Amino acid sequence: MRGARAEPFEALPSALTAPGVTPQATADGVPTAWVPAGRIHDTLAQLKRDGYRFLYDLTAIDERMRTHREHPMGDFTVVYHLFDYDRNADVRLKVALCGDRPSLPTLTDVWPMANWYEREVWDMFGVSFEGHPNLYRILMPRGWQGHPLRKDHPARATEMEPFRLPDERQAELQEALRFRPEEWGLQRREDELLFLNVGPHHPGTHGVLRIVLALDGEVIVEAVPEIGFHHRAAEKMGERQTWHTYIPYTDRVDYLGGVMNNLPYCLAVEKLAGIEVPERALVIRVMLCELFRIASHLVWYGTFAQDVGALSPVFYMFTDRERILEIIEAVCGGRLHPSWFRIGGVAADLPEGWDGLVRDFLDYMPKRLRDYDQMVMRNRIFQGRTRGIGQYTLDEAIEWGVTGPGLRACGLEWDWRRRRPYAGYDRFEFDVPTATAGDAYARAEVRVEEIRQSLRIVRQCLEHMPAGEYKSSHPLTTPPRKERTMQDIETLIHHFLTVSWGPVVPAGEALQMVEGTKGNNGYYLVSDGGTHAYRTRIRSMTFPHMQMLPQMARGLMVPDLLAILGSIDFVLADVDR
Amino acid sequence: MNESYVSLLVLAAVALGLGTVILMLNGLLGPSKPTASKLDTFETGNEPEGDARQRFSIRFYLVAILFILFDIEVVFLFPWAVLFKDYVAAGLGTFMFVEMAVFVGILAIGLAYVWRKGALEWD
Amino acid sequence: MRPLSLQLVSVVTVLVGVLTLAAGLIWLERRLLAFWQERLGPNRVGPAGLLQPVADAIKLLAKEDWVPPFADRPVFVIAPAIVFVTVLMSFAVVPITPGIGVVDLDVGLLFFLAMTGLGAYSAVLAGWASGSKYALLGGLRAAAQLLSYEVFMGLSLMGVVVMAGSFNLRDIVDAQRDLWFIVPQFAGFVVFMVAGLAETHRLPFDMPEAEAELVAGFHAEYSGMKFGMFFVGEYAGIILISSLITVLFLGGWHGPWLPGWLWFFLKTMLFICFFILLRASLARPRNDQLMAYGWKVMLPVALLNLMVTAAVVLAVGD
Repeated sequence: MRGARAEPFEALPSALTAPGVTPQATADGVPTAWVPAGRIHDTLAQLKRDGYRFLYDLTAIDERMRTHREHPMGDFTVVYHLFDYDRNADVRLKVALCGDRPSLPTLTDVWPMANWYEREVWDMFGVSFEGHPNLYRILMPRGWQGHPLRKDHPARATEMEPFRLPDERQAELQEALRFRPEEWGLQRREDELLFLNVGPHHPGTHGVLRIVLALDGEVIVEAVPEIGFHHRAAEKMGERQTWHTYIPYTDRVDYLGGVMNNLPYCLAVEKLAGIEVPERALVIRVMLCELFRIASHLVWYGTFAQDVGALSPVFYMFTDRERILEIIEAVCGGRLHPSWFRIGGVAADLPEGWDGLVRDFLDYMPKRLRDYDQMVMRNRIFQGRTRGIGQYTLDEAIEWGVTGPGLRACGLEWDWRRRRPYAGYDRFEFDVPTATAGDAYARAEVRVEEIRQSLRIVRQCLEHMPAGEYKSSHPLTTPPRKERTMQDIETLIHHFLTVSWGPVVPAGEALQMVEGTKGNNGYYLVSDGGTHAYRTRIRSMTFPHMQMLPQMARGLMVPDLLAILGSIDFVLADVDR
Repeated sequence: MNESYVSLLVLAAVALGLGTVILMLNGLLGPSKPTASKLDTFETGNEPEGDARQRFSIRFYLVAILFILFDIEVVFLFPWAVLFKDYVAAGLGTFMFVEMAVFVGILAIGLAYVWRKGALEWD
Repeated sequence: MRPLSLQLVSVVTVLVGVLTLAAGLIWLERRLLAFWQERLGPNRVGPAGLLQPVADAIKLLAKEDWVPPFADRPVFVIAPAIVFVTVLMSFAVVPITPGIGVVDLDVGLLFFLAMTGLGAYSAVLAGWASGSKYALLGGLRAAAQLLSYEVFMGLSLMGVVVMAGSFNLRDIVDAQRDLWFIVPQFAGFVVFMVAGLAETHRLPFDMPEAEAELVAGFHAEYSGMKFGMFFVGEYAGIILISSLITVLFLGGWHGPWLPGWLWFFLKTMLFICFFILLRASLARPRNDQLMAYGWKVMLPVALLNLMVTAAVVLAVGD
């Protein structure tokens, strides 16, 4: 959906009217401007004071292979994306950098949450940030050679030496992983702290996450999360897969969200290509997305209960999730990673009898949810374990870039489906649940209510499923329509090229943010007018949440850490990409 | 020697023997293939930083002190409890009751003191 | 004096009975949990999966008998044996019927409390000897939890002792011929049950091994039969606590129509199943919450219960 929003040039905030600032038009309508490197820090600080309090994203682009270079482009571009909740306005700033070892002043003094983002840019692009307190690699192992998202870094195993891991190398890597308290401002001898590695092989971390705890008894003095164990170069792969063949990779980012990951990607490509999606496809997409939201929340519900020691709920909730996956399987053929959305629609029409399956589920689920309220949410031990744990205020949430249920649990009624309607969400009726306490229990309350709201949306889809096409007739739709290929040669050639090479998407850039299962999920795509993306940036939902972990855990006890981890609801594939 | 204690000794001997046999059986039946990672400490897949045997938080020590205080006082209640009925029968019930009420009262004051001092709070 | 051979027979009978029951309990627990959690549980080895514990035991026996190089070797080996031996020893004083039981000790209750206190060393020493931080934290939690709840456990039983006027478990059962102690000693019953759960560190009080936090806590470094000993010790512990509840509060073998041993067995099974149900339905409190609960609720309740009991006995006696 292309938003009918103000022209980018007019929408630029006053802080950006100074000379030297060059505006840029983008396909997504986000006001975008190039700012000289020397002024970027002050400009960003000023914008923050002006109300852009949310640093939505901070990433970079290697521009050295670019053919479309209309803008004041250097070798590297660092992209800052700010957001203002009060005005529902955002702005994208770009800085052109030259040379092989570019550098910028750090933004961590303005936004503490810039810490991990800058580490990621350093890790991936080799752009250094002066004044950054701990500019170490974050996604790649410490001993890695090169910066993977640079265009000259190999993307395929065939471009590299065969992989070998001799014992000495393994010992070296293992040693590089050893926690060094000094790096994090902790003294071992004087403080008499116990340093405990939690994860990556730990049942409570929900995957390969490592948190190093500095403990005084069982009280957490400091927590240092370490991510990257689940990094699979999802963004790098976007640069070598065609627009179409990248879709299955998105499923694997938030692997509990299934097609919910396809959505922002497909929407962003559709923006770039100017594709309008037919009604029926829109509603099918919404229905599948909301089913996956319920499935994801159910996994969270069960595992969260298990994190605080309740054994049984997870079995009930996985049983329910299984019912959703049965519907998904009936519609898509796949279960966890259906890769069902296509550029311009969905892969196929709904099968016969889908409505019966969905209706059965909608009738079945509410009673189960009432049972769970009794079993989990009203359980006094559960409440004792989660109330007042991992608490943060609304200001802190915005400051640290929290989105999704974690933000709504602080009292801000902000749902991107409602505030920035996409994919036809504006025609559905649903409430945006909120809570006020901002603790683990409040986050749970919000998610539980969201399951009910998603059920409402699915019911509306069921009752008002429009007739019509499930895929657009736009020429860039993938896979292209085949009906007329046997009648005229142009269609045949077009079909052949689009299937074998992939569609050629016009040069430009577009961001699509969606209300994902765990927060705001954004796909920022840059096209250089080719058959694949020049840069695919996945603004993941839980990366900033994970960064906030120390903030939430300090002063609490080891069991609380697990309750907090459960309440964040993260997927490490999404954190690490 | 009381005969019941012989039975106890027999039980102890059999239980100990059983434990030893099971452990030795495990040693006989099980393989022995030490590898580098098997010989490592379990710390969820990391090289540990710092030793596991180091000075530890005072809070646990506090619990031990509380235990010693209260458990010893509770031990004083045991003989009193078992003989209380006999005292009641002998007409000394009221005296013994008041006696113990004073003792438990002191115990309760001790608990209240510890409570107020915050020794029962973990952090 | 009974001949030694007879003593040996009764000892072996009790041991075999307890160990068989403990093994059966592993199967029962897994099947019951599965039943309550909408799944099947072990159903492949033998009829209805009944031979699963046998398969488990064979597997554990065939595991590497491994002592980590960084562990304190003798303590590491002895620790699991402590819980195994002390729990089995405790069964000596449990009277199943007037005729069945290993010994008839006048200090039976004290013997049980002593064995429980000794058993606590198992987890603590295992945690310390392992030389691993997770085990250490588990061991320390075990120390704090087991020590605290030992105080309340002993205290909760003093009401029963006042009413029965004896530490001898047979006398205590006999004193309940007319009225089971669960009625007049309900507070004591609740405290004892909670303390018993805490002493066997079963969910919801399994903080020393809290799987989601400390992975396996004090037995994180254990494998093979040394781990198996903890395992059997825990299950035998459940049987022990359940049978003591039966003896102390539910009138032991007393009951109409059925033979005494069957009554004893049924009452004990009831509580075993109840403990399993607790595990299926409750979340795990934080360890400081458990400690606070013990010192701030359990201890005052147990003290009050004792004084009220004494006052009532005094009033009735006078």
